[in-house]
Amino acid sequence: MIRLESVTKSYSTEVTALRDASFEVAKGEFVFLVGPSGSGKSTILRLMNRQEQPERGEVWVAGKDINAMPDSKVPFLRRNIGNIFQDYKLLSNKTVFENVAFALEVIGRPKHVIKQQVPAVLDLVGLSDKEDRFPHQLSGGEQQRVSIARAFVNRPLILLADEPTGNLDPATGEGIMRLLDRINGTGTTVVMATHDQRIVNQMRKRVVQLDRGVIVRDQERGVYD
Amino acid sequence: MLERISYAFRETWASFKRNVTLTAAAVVTSAVSLLLVGSTFLIQRAFDNLLTRWKGDVELIVYVRSDASPEQIDFIQEAIESQPTIIDVSKLRYLDQAESYAEAQKLFAGDPGTLRLLTPENIPSQFKVVPTTDDSNLIRELGESFRSVEGVREVAYAQDVFDVVSRVSQFIRVATTVMSIVLLMVAIGLIWNTIRTAMFARRREIEVMKLVGATNWFIRIPFMLEGLLQGLIGGVLSCAGLWGLNTAWSNAVTDFNDTELAALVVSDGYVRWVMVMLLVIGAAAGAIGSGIAASRFLDV
Repeated sequence: MIRLESVTKSYSTEVTALRDASFEVAKGEFVFLVGPSGSGKSTILRLMNRQEQPERGEVWVAGKDINAMPDSKVPFLRRNIGNIFQDYKLLSNKTVFENVAFALEVIGRPKHVIKQQVPAVLDLVGLSDKEDRFPHQLSGGEQQRVSIARAFVNRPLILLADEPTGNLDPATGEGIMRLLDRINGTGTTVVMATHDQRIVNQMRKRVVQLDRGVIVRDQERGVYD
Repeated sequence: MLERISYAFRETWASFKRNVTLTAAAVVTSAVSLLLVGSTFLIQRAFDNLLTRWKGDVELIVYVRSDASPEQIDFIQEAIESQPTIIDVSKLRYLDQAESYAEAQKLFAGDPGTLRLLTPENIPSQFKVVPTTDDSNLIRELGESFRSVEGVREVAYAQDVFDVVSRVSQFIRVATTVMSIVLLMVAIGLIWNTIRTAMFARRREIEVMKLVGATNWFIRIPFMLEGLLQGLIGGVLSCAGLWGLNTAWSNAVTDFNDTELAALVVSDGYVRWVMVMLLVIGAAAGAIGSGIAASRFLDV
């Protein structure tokens, strides 16, 4: 589903974010990217949906070399990839329903599809009763569920999560992980960057560890270290 | 498709309301610059009218001394009429002192200082001469020969006035063109800036839109529509201004009926054509300015 081949990415001449990194994620897999801040986890996620392009190496997603793809095709690549962030990136002037609907609206989905899919995905994340609330009226965990609903409403092949539990207390974080696990169970490939040791150790999924831009460990059913 | 169109209009309207001051500034600037562009066209047209009128008209005026005797005047007329190969005798007109004074009243209406110096007694009478040839050397040669005729005070060539007016019109043309281009750039700059501000206000939305896979065109179109509308509204305002200016100008000029100045009136048909052009320029400048701004700030 995703393959990085000897990818090097630097933001300036001094800072090399990723050095000669290669790894592959199979369809339906759940992978943790772990490592301290600045080790290159976020860079890998940003390379996977072409928010960044590498200096060297290739990134293949769903059978396509995404850096060889013209800019005009990038939006269609991204429709297959959901994104979740530590700060949720919800639009504060829109309700829960509107935030999720927005993701379908801007890719031109008709109204009747939106009316049908948004309630379905809000039900999946457990927020059916809060669709008219605004983000500031929700707890952090609830906001993250909205952002997951938005990422998943278009049924993407891949879900990229960047520190999704970073702002949440442990119990709420566990709830989010159960939700991501369920989404992974529907066949969606999940790549999650985190430095939350407890969660990684609990989930027992594949762990790819980074240290200063280099992949130092790749372990099935791994632990944080 | 319908969803996309209604989305674009909703967003455009919302953004308009959000940036009222900046939008007003952009609209007013584009209106002023377009008004100047339009005025340039009308002024040029007016001068062209004037010049064409003169080209086919009087080429030579022989002024007769105010104290010339009737015999001398007859002699001058004979001298002019003795050149039927160069002069269209049938179009030869003589304005006596009373008529010349009446003409001067109109010509110098804007110049009371000069007018005060003139009386029906001291004003020269004049022969207005229409040549049959376009050869200005021949006309000049002939004119010089009249100078030596008794009683002739002065010979004036339309060509001289024509050249002065041409130079003035050339100068006005360049000046107004440069000014309107500069103002048009300012207008595009202001539209660019409102669009940039509008995009900055919505940067989080744009970020989310890009992440969920909205195409750049989808994101850009409401902003371009906004710029286009600003340019178009500016265009409409400038048309109203131009129409008003031209009406006032035409009214003022028709008061000088029978004089050459009447040629400075521009026909309504031409004014309408200029107005349509202003609308097109306004809309295009707005759409292009905002389109470039939107593209530039989409790479976030």
